[in-house]
Amino acid sequence: MAGDTADIADLIARCALRDRAAFKALYGRTSAKLFGVTLRILRDRSEAEEALQEVYVKIWQRADRYVPGGFSPISWLVAVARNHALDVLRARRPQGEDIDLALEVADAGPNPEQAAANRAERGRIDDCLGQLDADKADAVRGAYLDGYSYEELADRHKVPLNTMRTWLRRSLLRLRECLSA
Amino acid sequence: MSDEIDISGPGGDEILAAEYALGLLPEVERESAAARLRQDPAMRADLRFWLHGFSSLDIGFAETPPPATAWPAIERRLFASRRGVWDSLALWRSLAGVAGAIAVLAIGLNLVTPRADPNAFAAQLVAALSAQGSNVQVVALYNADSGEVRLTTLAGDRVPDKDYQLWAIEGTGAPQSLGVIKIDARNDVKLPADVLAQFGPGTTLAISLEPLGGSPKPVPTGPVVAAGKAMAI
Repeated sequence: MAGDTADIADLIARCALRDRAAFKALYGRTSAKLFGVTLRILRDRSEAEEALQEVYVKIWQRADRYVPGGFSPISWLVAVARNHALDVLRARRPQGEDIDLALEVADAGPNPEQAAANRAERGRIDDCLGQLDADKADAVRGAYLDGYSYEELADRHKVPLNTMRTWLRRSLLRLRECLSA
Repeated sequence: MSDEIDISGPGGDEILAAEYALGLLPEVERESAAARLRQDPAMRADLRFWLHGFSSLDIGFAETPPPATAWPAIERRLFASRRGVWDSLALWRSLAGVAGAIAVLAIGLNLVTPRADPNAFAAQLVAALSAQGSNVQVVALYNADSGEVRLTTLAGDRVPDKDYQLWAIEGTGAPQSLGVIKIDARNDVKLPADVLAQFGPGTTLAISLEPLGGSPKPVPTGPVVAAGKAMAI
């Protein structure tokens, strides 16, 4: 999907102009990816489909918030889907209002050169994760890709909750140093 | 600024944005982090840094084609119920089939209902009112003797702070209000003289969702949730 980044950005822009044909095309191009997101996090096909529908409703309604040159367009769409799936997970527990700041902060994102360097950066986060202990890198991936909470991560790795939180924070600090280097 | 947040362990404030980006924070901390993010541009820059970094992991979400039911459901959610009926030829066309089916059902019911009831409503015209994307379904029976339209709701719920309003439309003319109706009760609506003058087979009846008390304008302002043409029985 990396090759048609510009096309997807264009489709999102046309959605912001209420172009329904563009919305349908965007769905055709991106729904398999976004369903992959909701399915992996929610682990239930019918919940994942329901979430996918809500995600595309949000995309249509908030297409005007996508700013080219910030996130790559597919990353922005994945962020919308991931945030929504996490909200669905949280809704299984008592919770407060739906906060979607990850969308709001896309305004002044990394510049286009950075966005274009996506492949190099993918190598970089893999390299940086590779510098962590394997189980700690797994915990970071589990939090991002599976939406695991600290509690679930602690369970899976069979360590106390506080230990997990300490682990993960140390790992994130090291990641930060590595990614900024 | 950090004293309201539990900064146990290393990193604390510095990687709060990362924990927020990953969705790891417990609810209370998440809300307080969100409040700070709104105020603090530096922390928003941190959040962007992390979201950008983590997005390289997106490749781990395996592409999976969604069920074929998903796209039609999205279209229904977004477009069907909010489209104004007045500007949509496609909607009118799609209505014909559904309305016809319900009308046949209504006529059938009408024929098998015993006529012994002294309150029986001697209908000469029937209209089935519905619309794609709306769950409101209403059957209208018109009694020429009394000049009344009787509305019976088959499906539909009250909406808080809204009223349903009935309209009559002749051909391409402007909708004429027949007043606010109750969706959860039978309505006998007396047709005003000017509507009555033209009322007959082919007249369209439509129901829109309006502010309490009905549309502030002489035409509908809200979505049309049901519509259908009157047919002779």
